[in-house]
Amino acid sequence: MLNFDWLAGISLENAKIIFLVLFVLIGVLILFIPNDYIFQGLEKNKRRWWNNLKFWAIGVLGLLFFTYYIF
Amino acid sequence: MLSGIDYFVVIAYITGIMLLGFYFRRFIASSEDYFLGGRSLPFWAIGMSIVVSDIGAMDFVGVSGQAYRYGISVGNFDWIGSVPAMLLAAFIFIPYFWRGGMYTIPEYLGRRYNQKVRTIASLTWIIFFAVDLGVLFWASAVLLNVLMGWPVWLSILITAIVVGLYTYFGGITAVVMTDVVQLVIMFVGGLTLTFLGFHAVGGFDGLVDKIGAMGPEYRDHFDLIQPADTKTPFPWTGILFGLTFVMANAYMIGNQTIVQRCLTAKNEWHAKASMIFASGLKMLVPILVLFPGLMAIILHPGLEDGDQALPMMIKSILPPGLIGLMFSAFFAGLMSSVDSLLNSTATLFTKDIYEPYIKKDATDKHYLKVGKMTTLVLLLVGVATSPISGKFPGIYVAIQTFLSYFQGPLFAILLLGMFWKRGTQWGGLSGLLIGIGFATVLNTFKGAFFTIEDPFLYVSWWSFVAGFFITIVVSLFTSPHPDKRLVGLVYRSTPRKDKSK
Repeated sequence: MLNFDWLAGISLENAKIIFLVLFVLIGVLILFIPNDYIFQGLEKNKRRWWNNLKFWAIGVLGLLFFTYYIF
Repeated sequence: MLSGIDYFVVIAYITGIMLLGFYFRRFIASSEDYFLGGRSLPFWAIGMSIVVSDIGAMDFVGVSGQAYRYGISVGNFDWIGSVPAMLLAAFIFIPYFWRGGMYTIPEYLGRRYNQKVRTIASLTWIIFFAVDLGVLFWASAVLLNVLMGWPVWLSILITAIVVGLYTYFGGITAVVMTDVVQLVIMFVGGLTLTFLGFHAVGGFDGLVDKIGAMGPEYRDHFDLIQPADTKTPFPWTGILFGLTFVMANAYMIGNQTIVQRCLTAKNEWHAKASMIFASGLKMLVPILVLFPGLMAIILHPGLEDGDQALPMMIKSILPPGLIGLMFSAFFAGLMSSVDSLLNSTATLFTKDIYEPYIKKDATDKHYLKVGKMTTLVLLLVGVATSPISGKFPGIYVAIQTFLSYFQGPLFAILLLGMFWKRGTQWGGLSGLLIGIGFATVLNTFKGAFFTIEDPFLYVSWWSFVAGFFITIVVSLFTSPHPDKRLVGLVYRSTPRKDKSK
């Protein structure tokens, strides 16, 4: 039980899918964050698309997804 | 091993860092300047500082050594073991800490639960950091001695004088801005070694083909995901439950040395952006520390101690001048770890212990002075205790194990504190104490509970689970906090006001 023996039957391919699904899930949750919350702290007239932290986060998650997909 | 030009590079680096750090003393006029950089720093500097504080001189050698032994799976710690947690911190926790004007994580716990939780959490971190300082001094100096033949006492003395000067006078601003330079040095040194290493092994394809041809024991060296019953310390179940869900979050959300940097940001957007920027840089860290270990399998096969992989690579790959740069990168790792420990411990002591228990309502100048004196005392204690730690060879591992006792339960009460309004002060206190006790029992009798040799990932997960459920059960049996007290402390407990209008 403490050693997660009950998960030993899951193949490595399925384990990889679990990791990849986790990254997609995090990405989807980030997309649901309201833009107003993302830009909080920046003046309204200084908010540009490249200040949208959702894009930054999705970019990093994309790299992470790609890395785990390859390896 | 060092040539004349290498010495020149190292001395230029050390002098430059000291002068740069010392320059920032002019910006210190209050305790807020000293501990939070006057809340004026930009995201890029904070992000770089977060990453460099996380890579010590020991990590360079340790991670390369583990890559030599176990392959690419050690990269999990910088990839899945950092990035998701950093995004959670950036979007949920950091904005609440920043808006609350907090100095320390225990301060949040004190406001959310009670003063006892704050004091226990703060004292635990202070003891951990203070002991870690001496151990870090000694272990890193021994490492530099082995790698470069630099005398142990000289490494400790140089680090203490340089870091002590700029941290004492310049506070966290000096720490963050010198970290920026340290990161550049580390990345240039590490990337150069990796680039020249790839050239020596025939590129990435050459690396994969040659390691693959070395025999069945190297079959899994390019698999990030290892079987649940692997004999390595990185089974995928431990990586997912222990590392991704608990240790990474506890580290990125609950560790003072990391979070304090985000609290120095000039506004909430910069605070969030700093952590996301750092997560992008973290994706690159394994390239610096992991690939040289893999290349050493081909270039230096059959090493008895994997930790020799990186030194061997440096000796065989780098030309004079660049060896000095790599040596500076090691020094950068040591200095950035020491300056973080000094400033964060001084902040914890001044804000969580001195201010509430020893002298309330003193002037700001007084607290600034206490912060500076604490920095100085810690530095002296670290230097004085470092030779003692040399007499206990297992102490470095023991300290890391101690951290795994604490992190699971701490993250449990932080998580419930942020997302569950019903969590009470007695729930938080019980969850923290019983969770730490449970982790201690699991670790003490690990042979009876676990099948792998080093089950720290599993201990973290199960102590988190224990802390989580104890907090819930005790909270349900004790009086809830009034809603008014939770404003700004629990997720969505406050309607957001856009101050930028």
